[in-house]
Amino acid sequence: MVRAVDGVNFTVDKGEPLGLVGESGSGKTVSALSVLGIVPRPGKVVGGKVIFDGEDLLAKPEKEMRKYRGKRIGYVSQDPNSSLDPLFTIGSQLSEVVQAHEKVTKERASEKVLELLQRVRISEPEARMKAYPHELSGGMRQRIAIARALAGEPDLLIADEPTTNLDVTIQAQVLDLLKDLQRELGMTLILITHDMGIVAEMTKKVVVLYAGRVAEIASTRETFATPKHPYTSALLKAVPRVDRRKELVPIGGNIPNLITPPSGCRFHPRCKFVQEICVAKEPPLEAIGGGREVSCHRWKEITVEGAS
Amino acid sequence: MQEEVQLPSQHEVHSPRGAGQWAVAWRRFKRNRSGLAGLAMICFFALLAAYGLFLDPVPARSFACLYQGCTNLPPFTDWAHPLGTEPAGIDVWQEIIHGSAGDLYVGVGATAISIAIGVVVGAVAGYRAGVVGALLLGVTQIFFVLPVLIFILLFARIAILLVAQGLGLSLIVVILGIFGWTSIAFIVRGEIFRIKELEYIQASRALGASANRILFRHIVPNVLSPIIVVSSLLVAANILTEVVISFLGFSDPSASTWGLLLEEGLQYVRSSWWVSFFPGLAVVFCVLGFNLLGDGLSDALNPRLRE
Amino acid sequence: MAGLLSYLLRRILFAIPVFLTVSIITFLATNASGDPVAIVRLSIRNPTAVQIAALNAYFHVGEPIYTRYFLWLSDFLHGNLGVSLYTGTVASKIFPWTLTTLELQVPALLLALAIGIPLGVFSAKRQYSKSDVAVTTTAIFGISMPTFWLGIMAIIIFSLNLHWLPSFGAESAYPPYWWGSVPLDQLAHIILPLSVLTLVSLATYVRLIRANMLDALRQDFVLGARASGLSEFTVTYKHALKNAVTPVVTIVGLTFGSLLAGAPALETTFSWPGLGYEFVVAALGTDLPVVLAITMIITIMVLVANIGLDLVYALLDPRVRIS
Repeated sequence: MVRAVDGVNFTVDKGEPLGLVGESGSGKTVSALSVLGIVPRPGKVVGGKVIFDGEDLLAKPEKEMRKYRGKRIGYVSQDPNSSLDPLFTIGSQLSEVVQAHEKVTKERASEKVLELLQRVRISEPEARMKAYPHELSGGMRQRIAIARALAGEPDLLIADEPTTNLDVTIQAQVLDLLKDLQRELGMTLILITHDMGIVAEMTKKVVVLYAGRVAEIASTRETFATPKHPYTSALLKAVPRVDRRKELVPIGGNIPNLITPPSGCRFHPRCKFVQEICVAKEPPLEAIGGGREVSCHRWKEITVEGAS
Repeated sequence: MQEEVQLPSQHEVHSPRGAGQWAVAWRRFKRNRSGLAGLAMICFFALLAAYGLFLDPVPARSFACLYQGCTNLPPFTDWAHPLGTEPAGIDVWQEIIHGSAGDLYVGVGATAISIAIGVVVGAVAGYRAGVVGALLLGVTQIFFVLPVLIFILLFARIAILLVAQGLGLSLIVVILGIFGWTSIAFIVRGEIFRIKELEYIQASRALGASANRILFRHIVPNVLSPIIVVSSLLVAANILTEVVISFLGFSDPSASTWGLLLEEGLQYVRSSWWVSFFPGLAVVFCVLGFNLLGDGLSDALNPRLRE
Repeated sequence: MAGLLSYLLRRILFAIPVFLTVSIITFLATNASGDPVAIVRLSIRNPTAVQIAALNAYFHVGEPIYTRYFLWLSDFLHGNLGVSLYTGTVASKIFPWTLTTLELQVPALLLALAIGIPLGVFSAKRQYSKSDVAVTTTAIFGISMPTFWLGIMAIIIFSLNLHWLPSFGAESAYPPYWWGSVPLDQLAHIILPLSVLTLVSLATYVRLIRANMLDALRQDFVLGARASGLSEFTVTYKHALKNAVTPVVTIVGLTFGSLLAGAPALETTFSWPGLGYEFVVAALGTDLPVVLAITMIITIMVLVANIGLDLVYALLDPRVRIS
């Protein structure tokens, strides 16, 4: 059995963009899917709470959860090539979602679909509605996936690595779109990514995950300037930067095997500050003032480098 | 033919298969209970076949019971003839033993021929595209679409009439082999296409690896695993086809196969149900063995991640 | 729609060379030694003078091989299918034989799909559960079993022991009729072969649908559809199922060929007078015109069925319509 997520705790404030950062296998996607209650089988949620607007979502039966999906919480997945059903037109897939959220006639639904497409800046929306996914580019498909996630006008949008599989120029377009949408609609955004550059540009608060646990929580500025967890620092140093002549420092070692995770602090095999206590005991997630939290035994003693 | 051989699902190619990968696959296979069960069934019939060929005192197609007065015995009544005998005197259990050799010979032999032809055709079609490739693809598709059994029956009949009798099952082996190579060729061609374009092949080429080296170190091991899986399923299909051919009387009547027993079983269906029941059971378990083995190999060689 | 039409035309165009190739191969096979009468003599002692004359005329013996082929082909396309050694003109018999086979194959196919698709979906949604294991185990036994053997067992149990159903033929030749009247009599005759054929075909389709559903349910768009609040029913039956069934359509086309080809064994077991049964009788008795005609008719049926199914596939999956 693998515990993909084991003791992850964080809060998101309304209207605030949050970055959920970590390597693949750190539990980012699983956390997001748990919020929505759609963790794919054979995985399942075995404990914990998800408090949304005062209510615990995990305690809700499936029928009620469905009312949240798309309507209060939206989700965009990372692969634009497979996030839309290849056998149906864009128009039919979007109106299907619109009609699932409110009782409207087909014509009204089509109008709403057009509005949605315009909002995500798709050109020639009438023509696009009759198109099939494979006839459109990756960037367009991703924007349509975002449109689908917004169809129910949710309060919270979880974007799971929305630009990972796109070209760099298209990435910028999609990120701009997300930023503008977030501002226009006052939507809360959880942006899942492994790219610190995107985090810097898009978020106000960062949650760093490692091997299914929280490593650090801080505001974006603090995370970049004065990180407290060695993993965060290592992530920052691994970002290639064209404008500075600095060496890329890769993080040594491998992503831990979650079937037999390392003892104590899960980062200890790759940490340059490791000591006995790190191997023996798991570090608790401590609040260290100003809304920051860190899970490292030695955070007080060590100084880790920030981005420069 | 009972069904077209089903193609295995796509699998990820992350790195060239070293010796370590095969060991990992073997360990995975050992944990697959149904795959092991299949292997056990196959071994059982292989042992029966060996016994029948080398150790059995009773020869194939022996009508001894006509002279010994033990015809038309029901099963479980006389332990000398545990599964009963036919009205014509043939002992069912003895014939199942001898039939194992016959059916395994046809199943494995035809598959071997199909693999040989299929790999060559598929490799040429995959590696060197162009007119040759397109032509081969066309031929493969024609074979795929045809009602193959009818043609097999046709060729078997004509061949047996024209060519001297007594070639026995080898004729069937050849005919089945010739009609069965298309799925292998398709798979090989598909794999080569896919692997050719993968980045690490292009990287190898950029590094100066010769075409041969690429072929043997990278392409061959990756093509091997779907071929292994399909081979097992192909043997299963060939055995079923063979059973149909000999059941209908298109095969050599002096060669002992389960299909022949079933034909006699239909003849005697009113008086002796055991002549149809037990040979059919043998077919089911032998074919099941190869199907389970194929599924087990497929799981071992192309694991679907369970999370 | 234009894309669909051109796709259809391309499929038909492709079918023609296949048909011609098959006709050449078949013709050459039956004329392998150059003298069809000699082949006939190998299995029958003494064909009559009338039969010899008919054979020589039908195969245009005496001309070079390619001329003979084209003459025969033109005869065939004009409806002259030759004279059987035993049963009169082939053309008069081929239609009833075809109907008899289709009477069995088509309902079996439809039933197998009607039961197999829901069963496959059921099994896929409950992967790893006991019911899933039961279904997959039964299915793998099903594909390992010779259809006709199940037929023989059915005959033994239901016909010979229980006397509920007849064991051969498509209808009783003379009264008393099973279950009273002629239509019921025909129904009684079809039940056993139909059930056997359906059950065995079922196994293949359940496995296929189950595998495809498992793949489809893992796709991102299923996750996306669920996340946007669509009901589980819509996600499973509208999106996942359509994606799962679409490749099955082509497989049905491929297996239709083997189904039709597999008819000989089942029809022989039940003495069901369809194309398969008559093919076996003709082949064993070296009734060459019949053999040729049946082979070509079956090929045509398979080609037509495949074109039809390819069309259905193109209707379902828009990605296929581009060249």
